[in-house]
Amino acid sequence: MKQLIKLEINGRVYDVPVSPRDVLADVIRKKVGLTGTKKGCGMGDCGACTVLVEGKPILSCITLAITCNGKKITTVEGLALPDGQMHPIQEAFVNQGAIQCGFCTPGMLMSAKGLLARNPKPSLYDIKHEMSGNICRCTGFKRIIEAIEVASETMSEGVK
Amino acid sequence: MGAWDQRENYVREGKPSYLDERRFTQVGRSVPRIDGPAKAKGESIYTADMVLPNMVYGKIKRCKEYAHAKIKKIDCSKALALPGVLAVLTGDEAPNKWGIVPASANETALAVDKVRFYGEGVAAVAAIDEETAEAACDLIEVEYEPLPVLLDPFESMARASEVIIHENAPDNIMHKGDQIYGDVDKAFEKCEYILEREFKTGRPQQCYIEPMSAVASYDTQNGLLRLWASSQVPHYLHRQMSIVLEMPMSKIRVTLPTVGGGFGGKGEAASSEFVACLLSRKLGMPVKVTYDRDEVFFTSKGRHPCYMKWKIGLDKDGYIQAVDFDNTLDKGAYAGWGVVVMFYTASMVHLPYKVPNARTHVRNVYTNKPTTGAMRGLGGVQPRFAMECMLDELAEMMGISPYELKMKNAIESGYTAINNMYTPHTEYKKCLQTAVEKSGYLEKHGKLPFGKGIGLAGGYYITGTAYTLYQSYKPHTSVTIKVDTEGGVTVLCAAAEIGQGCNTVMAQMAAEALGVHYEDVHVQTGDTEIGSFDLGSFASRLTYGSGYAIREAAKEINEKLKAMAGGVLGCRADQLIIKDRKIYSMFEPKFTIDWATVVQKYVNSVGALIATGHFSPPRRKGIDIITGNRVQGANIGHSPTFGFSCQVHEVDVDVETGRVYVKKVTEAGDCGTAVNPMSVDGQVEGSIVFNMGAALYEEMKFDANGKHLNPNFHDYKCPTFMEMPDMDTNIVESYDPTAPFGVKETGEGAVQPTFPAITNAIYDAIGVRFYEVPITPEMILKALKEKKEKEAGCGCGCS
Amino acid sequence: MFMNQFEYFAPKTPGEAFELMGRLGSKARILAGGTELVILMKDRIIRPECLIDINNIEEFKGIKYEPGKGMVIGATTKIADIQYSEIVKRKYYALADAAGEIGSSQVRHMGTIGGNSCNASPSAETPTPLVAYGATVVVSSATGEREMPLEEFIQGVRMIDLKEGELLTKFKLPEPSPKLVGRYAYMGARDANEIDFVNMAVTLELEDDKQTVKSVKLVMGSVFIKPLISTAVTALLTGQKFSDELAAKAAEATQGEAKPITDVRASAEYRHEIVGVLARRLLKEAFGAAQEV
Repeated sequence: MKQLIKLEINGRVYDVPVSPRDVLADVIRKKVGLTGTKKGCGMGDCGACTVLVEGKPILSCITLAITCNGKKITTVEGLALPDGQMHPIQEAFVNQGAIQCGFCTPGMLMSAKGLLARNPKPSLYDIKHEMSGNICRCTGFKRIIEAIEVASETMSEGVK
Repeated sequence: MGAWDQRENYVREGKPSYLDERRFTQVGRSVPRIDGPAKAKGESIYTADMVLPNMVYGKIKRCKEYAHAKIKKIDCSKALALPGVLAVLTGDEAPNKWGIVPASANETALAVDKVRFYGEGVAAVAAIDEETAEAACDLIEVEYEPLPVLLDPFESMARASEVIIHENAPDNIMHKGDQIYGDVDKAFEKCEYILEREFKTGRPQQCYIEPMSAVASYDTQNGLLRLWASSQVPHYLHRQMSIVLEMPMSKIRVTLPTVGGGFGGKGEAASSEFVACLLSRKLGMPVKVTYDRDEVFFTSKGRHPCYMKWKIGLDKDGYIQAVDFDNTLDKGAYAGWGVVVMFYTASMVHLPYKVPNARTHVRNVYTNKPTTGAMRGLGGVQPRFAMECMLDELAEMMGISPYELKMKNAIESGYTAINNMYTPHTEYKKCLQTAVEKSGYLEKHGKLPFGKGIGLAGGYYITGTAYTLYQSYKPHTSVTIKVDTEGGVTVLCAAAEIGQGCNTVMAQMAAEALGVHYEDVHVQTGDTEIGSFDLGSFASRLTYGSGYAIREAAKEINEKLKAMAGGVLGCRADQLIIKDRKIYSMFEPKFTIDWATVVQKYVNSVGALIATGHFSPPRRKGIDIITGNRVQGANIGHSPTFGFSCQVHEVDVDVETGRVYVKKVTEAGDCGTAVNPMSVDGQVEGSIVFNMGAALYEEMKFDANGKHLNPNFHDYKCPTFMEMPDMDTNIVESYDPTAPFGVKETGEGAVQPTFPAITNAIYDAIGVRFYEVPITPEMILKALKEKKEKEAGCGCGCS
Repeated sequence: MFMNQFEYFAPKTPGEAFELMGRLGSKARILAGGTELVILMKDRIIRPECLIDINNIEEFKGIKYEPGKGMVIGATTKIADIQYSEIVKRKYYALADAAGEIGSSQVRHMGTIGGNSCNASPSAETPTPLVAYGATVVVSSATGEREMPLEEFIQGVRMIDLKEGELLTKFKLPEPSPKLVGRYAYMGARDANEIDFVNMAVTLELEDDKQTVKSVKLVMGSVFIKPLISTAVTALLTGQKFSDELAAKAAEATQGEAKPITDVRASAEYRHEIVGVLARRLLKEAFGAAQEV
């Protein structure tokens, strides 16, 4: 039996009927229709499905949607600025060559967003350690790290 | 920014720019990729993101009981009775065999009569949602009669009289071949240094992050089938679909949405694609089939484990005289790319060193494991591992540096190998030099403290193939360029952008050839109906192939525009240059006109400009160049040109835990002209980390019954951010004058040196040589223990 | 794969939770972080009829430290909150360290400290330092509370001392002596996202001479059905002047105590080897740190 839950995704409120067993990734992708969030393994091991719930990075493929009732969720579609311009993290990923096939990218961006929100000036070790739940098979990670470093710089300049 | 940007490679003294074909403005730019913003914003549509009106979902019932069994009976009645189930499908409904190599095609959409590996699909269901489809799969009852399971290729050959995997392979050997060039035995007799070794490689998988997905939509009225799929070979997929569905190719259209990586694993058709199409045709409605990760592990055709015996002989001066190579490959259950991969391993003997006498015996053996196939650098990685490690050992026997030995034997531009493989251009020596100098290899090798080591290895890879996988002499790539006043410049090609960046590179090359800017070009790929013909993204072929075709098409367009501009400007068309969105006289720069104006005039007076260029590779025969005789399987390995590279790895070995930490990698690559240096660096960095995983921990594991033990990312270990070494990648100056824009390849060449460089570095660190990958911590500890016992046992102080 | 259908309950108070547990009995499973439970359900290893989500119960959350009395950590406190907590880092360093090595950042933001113990997986990270610090758990039910050492609560592989109607609600950590140091180490195939081959925590305190071991406790994970406290290390080192030789001897003794198994991740022999290496390194590291206190 389905229950109606309220999800505030990227600032918009969605009333969605869900079964308790529905995972957040499926609800976001199929019911809300935001397909930017990806499913790479379905078991919480690759990080492609990472979204922010109340600002914290979580794995939406192993999170029951029903547990997010009433919560604020940010997906990759919610990263861009209100005028559609890319967020500094997105821009850095594009410019640094941190994107190849792009399938891990939404999850990477959300983890990076979560990391920089908590730690605006992460060290190389911080980036590696906190991003390691996101697997990229194309880039060898180097340019993703560089992109996060660039974004960190850009964002802290913005604060000044 | 890559090293390319900091140098002025294209400014050549004494040659005006309009005559210097190497002075590029669009090729050589590290532009961000065309598809970057859409990917960063989550707007790119991958196959699994697609929803069509009235679409239903398919799931495949897989055999999880046995790795080898006869199918006695499949009862789908309970599944069909489940509310929400619309159709079921079994293998006997589509028994036509498919396979990328027609001669060995032996797969069916779903198993027919028997299953040959754990996880093979036996039936499929279409239902209103995935949950229902999966529940219905559980209700399908299959009765099996188990057969003996053969997991090891040697056991498989030995027990062939008792149990066979395929009826037409009574010895359980899929294919075998011998290639003999020169007189190997006689050559060995004259050798001063001879080394014999046996090597074994593991069973990694591609692990692209996007699982395969397919959406099929069959129109019952006009009999047209559309298929959207996460594939890297739309053309080969198109052909296979035509065979299995018994429909003409002209009634099928294959389209690639955004593809989330392939590395060879999407280089063949997949069951998901057949099942989606068959169910859609049955139902007359769109069907989507998306794999779970375990299904990817069961079906994506990973790298062949190789059991290799090698013998290499050098003369007293260290020149290679003879190579004898025997390779047994573990094919897994079905043929797939098997013949090709097997003969590639044989061809890899001939480069990047001069080998005057060579003999190879290769065989690819069926086992009851998931099928192996094409994985990044196919056929090259395994023999390269062995050869580069053995050259290090031989250098030690000679008392010289491995660098010296490799430089001494390295080929030069214009080299023809004994099997007739021709290398028009190489900067391999420059790769070795650059990596050695930048890493300080000579200062460090043999001199680092115990536990720290440095290792060197080189490698090469093809830049496309000489032949199609089926008998055909059509061009391998065709590119249509359309120039008009609406769309501007549009490049149409049925190539596959799988994340490697071909759309961006094609735009750069087209802009260069047309004298416009990269930003002016639209690239439409991945559609068998819209684009001109292309074979697909494999064998590192696309930059070269499409570059050639682009140049041809652009030439035709430029001629037409020049004629038009010449009339307007009042000068001869053949004296006009097109560059930087302008058309001008090479002698009188004041005669200049905007490119867009000329296009407008042309379109207004003639109509849209369309031209198609083609690329057909040179077809070199696989012959013994001494006798001129044809050699079986030796057409495989030829390529229009080859990419080269060298890697130096520095490792720390924790001698107490056995863990190996790759700390720093210095790489130097000859990819010809780097069309997009940032993209080249990205390919190389990705390649290094990719094969570092397979060198140290990536391995598909099976129990004694053939059950796959780690079909998930908890226990199949890919490298993470934490494992990433410090990487210094260098693009050596290179320009292949025979190639369009001077290009070669980089997508697969850069994986070649990683296994041996790490293995050589481990030897330098702890004095133990490994002949098997992955080199696990347990292997390191065991080897160290044995070494210690041996040293203690001797007691004479020698080592 | 998809999970089975189940009923979902999200009580807001302990009372509601206990009432539900009483009513649903063995049909229900408790949902905390879900990082293990959901995977087991997706793999169809378990198919509960009901889930009781205890994350909305404020009483079960949070880190409270009272000088002199020690720390109380609510069972549904997120692992990431422990990893980042300054007071945990200062007082129970090995626990913060272990928390930071669990899975990935995402798993740490989802997973709870209670879940990490209740799963009773031998390779769990936090039980090892918790036992080393002498943590007890509080098990609550509608009728009252029981308190017991964590090493007694975890009884074996996926076996814990919870009776029907009971919930693990908090961990209590005694105030550490000002000179006590704690250290944590692990070994896996990679340095992230890892299921440990072996993990280990040690707490150690020196006498004023900064040489003599006043107290020491070494706990091993992933080498037995539950966290294993080394009695040998305590016996060999207590009251002795610390030395590398003694550490080596103690480490060798831990190898005699560990009873690892072979699985898809590592062999028993290898784990056995690693126990000795980690123990020796960890004891030396802890000794070095204790000298600095």
